[in-house]
Amino acid sequence: MKKLMMKGVEAIGEGAIRAGCRNYFGYPITPQSELTEYMARRLPEVGGSFLQAESEIAAVNMIYGASSVGKRVMTSTSSPGFSLMQEGISYIACAQLPAVFVNVVRGGPGLGDIQPSQGDYFQATKGGGHGDYRLIVLSPSTVQEATDLTMLAFDMADRYRNPVLIFADGLLGQMMEPVSFEEKEVTYDNSAWALTGAKGRSPRQVTSFNIDPYGLEKMNMELQKKYRQIEANEIRYEEYRTEDADVLIVAHGTVGRIAKSVVKMAREEGIKAGLFRPITLYPFAYEALSNYGEKTKLVLTVEMSSGQMLEDVKLSLCNKTRIEFYGRMAGVVPTPEEVFAYLKSLIGRQ
Amino acid sequence: MAKNHVFVGLYGSGKTEIAINYAMKLKRNFEKVAIVDVDIVSPYFRVRDYQQMIEKAGIVVIAPPKNLSKADLPIITASVAGYLDNPQYTVVLDVGGDERGIVALGYLKEHLINTNVYLVINTKRPFSQKVEQIVQIAQNLEGRCGVRIDFLVNNTNLGSNTDANMIREGEKIVLQASKILNRPVAFTVVMNSIDFPSEISLFHIERYVKNKEELS
Repeated sequence: MKKLMMKGVEAIGEGAIRAGCRNYFGYPITPQSELTEYMARRLPEVGGSFLQAESEIAAVNMIYGASSVGKRVMTSTSSPGFSLMQEGISYIACAQLPAVFVNVVRGGPGLGDIQPSQGDYFQATKGGGHGDYRLIVLSPSTVQEATDLTMLAFDMADRYRNPVLIFADGLLGQMMEPVSFEEKEVTYDNSAWALTGAKGRSPRQVTSFNIDPYGLEKMNMELQKKYRQIEANEIRYEEYRTEDADVLIVAHGTVGRIAKSVVKMAREEGIKAGLFRPITLYPFAYEALSNYGEKTKLVLTVEMSSGQMLEDVKLSLCNKTRIEFYGRMAGVVPTPEEVFAYLKSLIGRQ
Repeated sequence: MAKNHVFVGLYGSGKTEIAINYAMKLKRNFEKVAIVDVDIVSPYFRVRDYQQMIEKAGIVVIAPPKNLSKADLPIITASVAGYLDNPQYTVVLDVGGDERGIVALGYLKEHLINTNVYLVINTKRPFSQKVEQIVQIAQNLEGRCGVRIDFLVNNTNLGSNTDANMIREGEKIVLQASKILNRPVAFTVVMNSIDFPSEISLFHIERYVKNKEELS
């Protein structure tokens, strides 16, 4: 298969195009402007539409419109921009529309900085906007996985009529690696609900509004039923050298990669370490992770945040093992050496 | 040999890597070598991110002031022009990617005397895979900054997945573009670990600009 050297954000863009995305609306923000730029360049080549909106708020509402007519559509942004999109995402989730969002997370809170971070985990997995809704959240750890998960995101969005978020960090977005693309036929059928003009059929409605509380509660119940299905079918995670591990590191995305190096370093020194890397952040792999409660002496969660996924790790393990945390914030990327040193200090090794 | 050496190209083509290696090579023959970070486009993987390592080799690094080095601002340090003019210094310029980044070079145009300008091409990058695309890149960049490109550089690579065949294919493409543009190919870039017999001159490099994870 032909390979190309691509930045993470370019690979996400190409993955989207190969998944049949022909509409992109977005507003540039570092460190993901190359994705906006990539779509601006590539979409006209494949007969698609690119529009640079006047703001993230405009972009998310363009997504709302384009998805309501059944088209595959995507936008991308970075942390402060993603905050601006939350109202629209809540509307899209309630209206049960498929759409793909990309948040290349940078240091926060506030204006923050432009360095890599995972500090938007709560926002991504616990709501973000108002109301009882969920995004499917995918966290890639390599450039290849970023492209593969983007293609998967479009299929999931259509299958569940739900927004899907690619949760990347600035480092994954900017780093370059060889990527290959699977030749895949794009098939999706939104004809059952999309607004395509009511010729020869009764009119349809796409809405996130119901003035009758019982009616709105019914809409909510439908959403909840869907989320239970997603939780039953879509949990994804990677286990690395965990069979005999008594020390388990839990980390996602770029940090998952760093943690993999830590596992290798630990194994070389005779420490039985393993890695559990959640790929779907929602739905989270509570059950799979809970199995390590009795098997391990220590679970170390590592994040580029103050400990957000840590709360889900604790929920999984219910105090059945010792749970510790190592985190860097604000755009500082932990090195394998510093994580390993911390791990050793926890188990009393030099 | 020219006094100043300028590397331009699309972002991700490998300019920073080559500029650092080129400065290291020049340092073996010249006492005073400076490398200038005029990248006003990329947020990560810039010369300034490797400043300590380069300075250790005795090379002067000219980059935005420390307190602004991580800022999302198009900063060109005022002292750049001085180094370009100073006959005692051999200077390497790393110019940020594509049509927007190269505007910085236009600003320095009157200081580019006795200067070679190299267009760096990785034929494994998006929008750089075909002869016509490379010709277009050269014309666009020259049009934006008003500075003539003197040489092409073949930097075809897939990182650690690079092999000799791939470099050879890239060389063919770059040589064809060179004919159309009527600018010679200065060299083909080869990582030190790869054995590659080329028809044109080779430039062996170490990989300094690494992804964080590759370090591990």
